[in-house]
Amino acid sequence: MTVSSVPTRRHNPIVFADWILVGASLLLSIIGLVMVYSSTQHRLAFQGEDANYFLVRQASFLVLGLALMALMIYVDYRVLRDLSPVIYAAAIGVLFLVLSPLGTATRGAQARFDLGLLQFQPSEISKIVLILAVASFCYQYRGDLDAWRLAQALGMAAVPMGLILLQPDLGTAIVIAATLLGILLVAGARPRHLGVILLFGATSLVGVVAVGALEDYQVDRLTSFVDQSSDLQTSRYNLQQSKIAIGSGGVFGKGLGNGSQTGLSFVPEQHTDFIFTAVGEELGFVGSSLILALFGVVVWRTWRIAQLAKDPFGTLAATGVLVMIAFQVFQNVGMSMGIMPITGIPLPFLSYGGSSMLASLAGIGLVVNIGMRRYT
Amino acid sequence: MNETSRIRILIVGVIVISLFSALFARLWYLQVISYEKFEVAAEGNRIRFVPREAPRGRILDRRGRILVDNRTANVVAVSRSLVGDERDRVVAELSQLLRLSVAEIEDRLEDFRYADFRPIPVATEVDEATLVAIREREDRLPGVEAIQSPVRVYPHGYLGAHVLGYVGEINDQELEEREDEGYELGNTIGKVGVERAYETDLRGTPGVERYEVDRSGQVVRELGEEESQQGDDIQLALDLDVQRSAEIALESFVQLARGQGKPATGGAVVALDVTTGGVVAMASYPTFEPSGFVHGISNETWERLNRPDCNLPLNNRAIQGLYPPGSTFKIVTSLAGLRTGMITPETTIVDQGSIEIGDRQFRNAGGKSYGRVALPRALTVSSDVYFYSLAKAIDDLSVGQEEEIQNVARLLGFGEPTGIELPFEQDGRVPDREWKRSVHAANPDAFPEGNWFTGDTVNIGIGQGDLLATPLQVATAYATLANGGFEYEPHLGARVIDRFGAVLREVDPEVISEVPIDPAWQSAILGGLRGTVAHQEGTAFNAFQGYRGPAVAAKTGTSQIRGREDTSLFVGMFPADAPKYVVVAVVEEGGAGADIAAPIVRHVIETIVSTEGDPQLPPIGTVIAPLGSTSAPVPEQGATAEPVPDGLVPDETAAAGCAGP
Repeated sequence: MTVSSVPTRRHNPIVFADWILVGASLLLSIIGLVMVYSSTQHRLAFQGEDANYFLVRQASFLVLGLALMALMIYVDYRVLRDLSPVIYAAAIGVLFLVLSPLGTATRGAQARFDLGLLQFQPSEISKIVLILAVASFCYQYRGDLDAWRLAQALGMAAVPMGLILLQPDLGTAIVIAATLLGILLVAGARPRHLGVILLFGATSLVGVVAVGALEDYQVDRLTSFVDQSSDLQTSRYNLQQSKIAIGSGGVFGKGLGNGSQTGLSFVPEQHTDFIFTAVGEELGFVGSSLILALFGVVVWRTWRIAQLAKDPFGTLAATGVLVMIAFQVFQNVGMSMGIMPITGIPLPFLSYGGSSMLASLAGIGLVVNIGMRRYT
Repeated sequence: MNETSRIRILIVGVIVISLFSALFARLWYLQVISYEKFEVAAEGNRIRFVPREAPRGRILDRRGRILVDNRTANVVAVSRSLVGDERDRVVAELSQLLRLSVAEIEDRLEDFRYADFRPIPVATEVDEATLVAIREREDRLPGVEAIQSPVRVYPHGYLGAHVLGYVGEINDQELEEREDEGYELGNTIGKVGVERAYETDLRGTPGVERYEVDRSGQVVRELGEEESQQGDDIQLALDLDVQRSAEIALESFVQLARGQGKPATGGAVVALDVTTGGVVAMASYPTFEPSGFVHGISNETWERLNRPDCNLPLNNRAIQGLYPPGSTFKIVTSLAGLRTGMITPETTIVDQGSIEIGDRQFRNAGGKSYGRVALPRALTVSSDVYFYSLAKAIDDLSVGQEEEIQNVARLLGFGEPTGIELPFEQDGRVPDREWKRSVHAANPDAFPEGNWFTGDTVNIGIGQGDLLATPLQVATAYATLANGGFEYEPHLGARVIDRFGAVLREVDPEVISEVPIDPAWQSAILGGLRGTVAHQEGTAFNAFQGYRGPAVAAKTGTSQIRGREDTSLFVGMFPADAPKYVVVAVVEEGGAGADIAAPIVRHVIETIVSTEGDPQLPPIGTVIAPLGSTSAPVPEQGATAEPVPDGLVPDETAAAGCAGP
């Protein structure tokens, strides 16, 4: 009988990779493929288009995303940490560019580059960049975030957030804000400071709404969840339809491809921001719970890696990814069920969209990277 | 990792766990607790029900012959999904093919009353050639389709128009009244006549088409259809041959009267089966074409049909026409005299041609005097003096009996609707002391006198004064006398038959009231009435010269309306010893009863007699199951297979512009 060898730094770090985290993410992405197909096939077929259109594209995004994830795992996270100022600068540049005529406006937001076959939405990937940059900044002043340094960290985040708000993409800006708060909390920001930031954030959000800096539709969407009984406005109607879709799924759901609410477009954006309605309607409480549980697994494994990380940078970066994913899930699923305001953010792994897929898988790649290099 | 970081990561974990718990709780609430509510809402979103009208049941005569049927009409309809330039192009092309203006088609397409989801009919009665032309251009006319739609057919033209009635699009009021019966805007409904009276039976059960629609209301697919069920057939007591002879005779003698210089503005004929109250014939003149209403009638035509100087062809004079019954009312006065004991059948009165009552002279028509008369002869010769005297005697009776004429009149059905299934039936009027007082109190200018005088009773005694009755009320009163005192509610329907020929329901004869009539009185009165045609002295002896059928008991009536030509009335019952049928004819401003109304009744009686024994006709009560839902019958006399665009039969002597173009 031999004593099993304890892993040591002599081993290739891939041995220590968290395959549960990778597996859960992959499973969610594959379920996403199925749901994207299921929620769009009828509409496409009815319009006389290729029913597989979104499926094929989402599958290619998944392949691209897995490649990016592999890259994020392969390159030592400390290299990324050291390169973060450069990456940050590049991301800011790209966010400027998208606001220039090079970017494309869709549905009132100047948020994408049209690359012919594909479109790229830089705000998504900038979430990961900012996690790297802020974690790296806080790492330099480990455990000692005084007011000035905190202000610097906030300034770092304020630039991309401001650019994203100019698009305007309120949802992503809010995700970044939440992620930033999460990192700052774990980085040791003083509770007093955090309180001030929260208060300031809330006030400015109300201020922005009141001053009218937001488009009408954004205000509608943000406030429609407050009074849900009326369906006079489109967003209230949409929200009502979204709840009907999920509620009518019942315990076991209507079965894949049988969702009338999503299949007949009663729910808008049923393959992107409102993909969870398709899950709820077709897979029911059982399927929806399973998917939430898979997200739980992703969050749990990320949380675990944040604790096990070799250095505070790893802890902070993993925390950033954790908060990013957890907040997006809560915000997106909560909005579909009418307990959160409607803001256009995708459900990680499941929503149709290449940039979101790349960002989510890159984030997981970064976490796996941190986790497997905890001994080296 | 230091202790602070550990605690702070723990805080993050706790926050995430609570957020996820909130999601689970909400998920549980929506999908497990509120499932049913949302399930209903989702189905309501997805499924649209489109009702489809059933073909109406047919209307048959008492021998099972078809009076009203359905046929399939080709309808060109345009889908609602057609929009923009394509729609403009299609409408333009359709306008040429259908020979309709673009505006006419657009009006139809814009009409909000057409049910959602179903294509909108833009042209009805499209001929085969046009249909072929449209099919050939199928690829250039997207959204255009040809539909087969059931349409009412009247194979006998205007025959029985007032009885059968017509159908039309439901209006707001009808929709409200029939709220719970599943009617929708654009549905067809019986407007008058049997079509209206038996609407519930004729209508059938609408089918339902279920469609799945998407958010924008576009039909994604058909989910299935519940077939509509054709309505039940109504078999009438009406006899096609008798009805036709009544209409022809009525029209002929109206024209004859006009030829003699009488206004003869219209008339009515009613034939009743006295043993059941069944209406064997009911005619009203002038008349109209029910098929003119099939696709809706133009405002212009509608106006013309309602113009008084066109003699109101839509009025069913048999139940809506009010006339003083004149001498036909004398059977009422007779019964009142017998009931009060003022006379027996043998009591005689000396008729000297006139009688003075109060300070007024009441004369016989033509000033004739008949000498000593008893009841039967008084009826045969229609002695006014006899009935003046009798009425005066009744008027002189003590309180309680002094209005016996009115009491008997009411017992026999005067003064209130008979209760026939048709709408808009008039009450008629039986004047008495109370009536005179109340109308005077209500309107002293129009009725300057509020007191009742003996002269009023005397006038009523011969069916004049303020007395008014419909031809159907006269027929009902005679039928009651004829059958020994049973007042049946007159009815058109005999039975309801389902589409397989099974009898669903019999319309049973209903006795409204029983009038005690002593058989001796009945035979005395019938005997007198028999003399009307059989005796040389009889008022209708000439009119029945050469008549060979069973003995007829009859009464003429020539009633006066101030400022107008006399109303011509005649009632005939046969066989005289035990009557089975009563036939009444009334011609407004037609002159003497014996001249105009009597030959009409004779003609109808002869038709009944000849058809009753005709072995070539299907027996009475024959029930024929429909061959198909839209069996087109062989057109008979007066039939028009093609729809007539106008609803009015040409009537040359009526005011100019009454006949259709």
